[in-house]
Amino acid sequence: MAALDLLFSGDAELWSIIWVSFRVSITAILLSLVPAIAVGFMLAMIDFPGRWMVIALFNALMAIPTVVVGLTLYLLLSRSGPFGEMHLLFSQPAMVIGQVLLCVPVLVCMSHSAFQGLDRRAWETARTLGAHCSRAAITMVCEARFALLAAVLAGFSRIISEVGCSMMVGGNILSYTRNIPTAIALETSKGEFAQGVALGLVLLLLALVLNFTLASVRGKGQLV
Amino acid sequence: MSLELNVDNLVKSFGQRKLFHVDQLRVGEGESLHLSGENGSGKTTLMKILAGLERPCSGRVMVTPKARRWWSDRIHPQVIYLHQTPYIFSGDVRDNVAYGLRLRSYSRRDVKLKVQQALAWARLEHLAEQPAYALSGGEKQRLALARAWILAPSLLLLDEPTANLDQHSVRAVSELVTQLLDKGTTVMVSSHQKNAVTDLCGRRLHLENLALQELGNAFSNELNNEPELKYYVQH
Repeated sequence: MAALDLLFSGDAELWSIIWVSFRVSITAILLSLVPAIAVGFMLAMIDFPGRWMVIALFNALMAIPTVVVGLTLYLLLSRSGPFGEMHLLFSQPAMVIGQVLLCVPVLVCMSHSAFQGLDRRAWETARTLGAHCSRAAITMVCEARFALLAAVLAGFSRIISEVGCSMMVGGNILSYTRNIPTAIALETSKGEFAQGVALGLVLLLLALVLNFTLASVRGKGQLV
Repeated sequence: MSLELNVDNLVKSFGQRKLFHVDQLRVGEGESLHLSGENGSGKTTLMKILAGLERPCSGRVMVTPKARRWWSDRIHPQVIYLHQTPYIFSGDVRDNVAYGLRLRSYSRRDVKLKVQQALAWARLEHLAEQPAYALSGGEKQRLALARAWILAPSLLLLDEPTANLDQHSVRAVSELVTQLLDKGTTVMVSSHQKNAVTDLCGRRLHLENLALQELGNAFSNELNNEPELKYYVQH
């Protein structure tokens, strides 16, 4: 009950945490989207030496624990690191960079699979009907839109719920870098469960909304 | 627009396996050609190379006059290749027919008008709002032809257009191809067996023993009452 009270009473601290979470994760997914899908498209369509190695590398990156990405980024952004001059550590931009690194492999691998699953004739038909390469690529994106939407949702789910990287490069600063997962971890360690449960409910609700959205869109795209 | 296709010393191989070799091939305006050959002889690959969709290992395909545009592309806008089983984009029949026109600088009103004409030409008006994936095989083939017809191509490459179609659909496709030929479109049809569509073709090309051979002119042979095409003219 205390968790629901917190949610519906408009608790400023709780809603600032939710705001930080969404702001950082939406920025990260928007920054990753186009380049990652472009890489996935090229991996599916262009045959070049070592292509399988690049695909295997992205697959491996997809499985890397978030704390490892966080640690690597921490070392790069810390004062003694190569990018220490930029003073990005414990800031929202650092969290965005971390989340971009986490979701790009997911988007690349899933969009690669989406394009690979398309019929080669789609590309050839677009090209022979007069589409130049970039327009034909847009056609391919349209044809693979349901699978690509699933990729975007999977990428977003990975970053909105990750705790390791955000904790390490964000520093869990209230009203600035404290997001939903880091707040849940902190509050639970303090024995304050109400806020943790309230934030958990937000994540649960988000997961339901995203999955119902995907299911309904996919339903419209079914053949039978 | 009058268009000429010239092929010189074309070779296509897959790894160590040579698929075919074409010494020379000239195709002029308004010609109709039947490309025959056994399964796996390379008919589809040759047509895709002529359409610019695949690269040959060596040799060249020249389509004249060249297309005027700012980007370089080996696909000529006046040459259209149709797959054996057409790929149908998601959306309705109207969207599919309009696809090529929307890539060109036509006004919305012109697109609507031309799409209507194309649908009438292919007798698909009653299906205009239907999801394109729900069409039958013959209707999909007619849709693919309408999608090409609307762009007024100078050279149309039809890859096994009647494969898996019933007699009624073959007749419908054959009528549409006849109309294209009457309009002066150059048409090349690949098929490993004779049918109503290949019977429309004046020139016979045959892929055999890794080479393209010309089996003479069908119409002149019919006039001379020759039952079979027997001589080979290898360029």
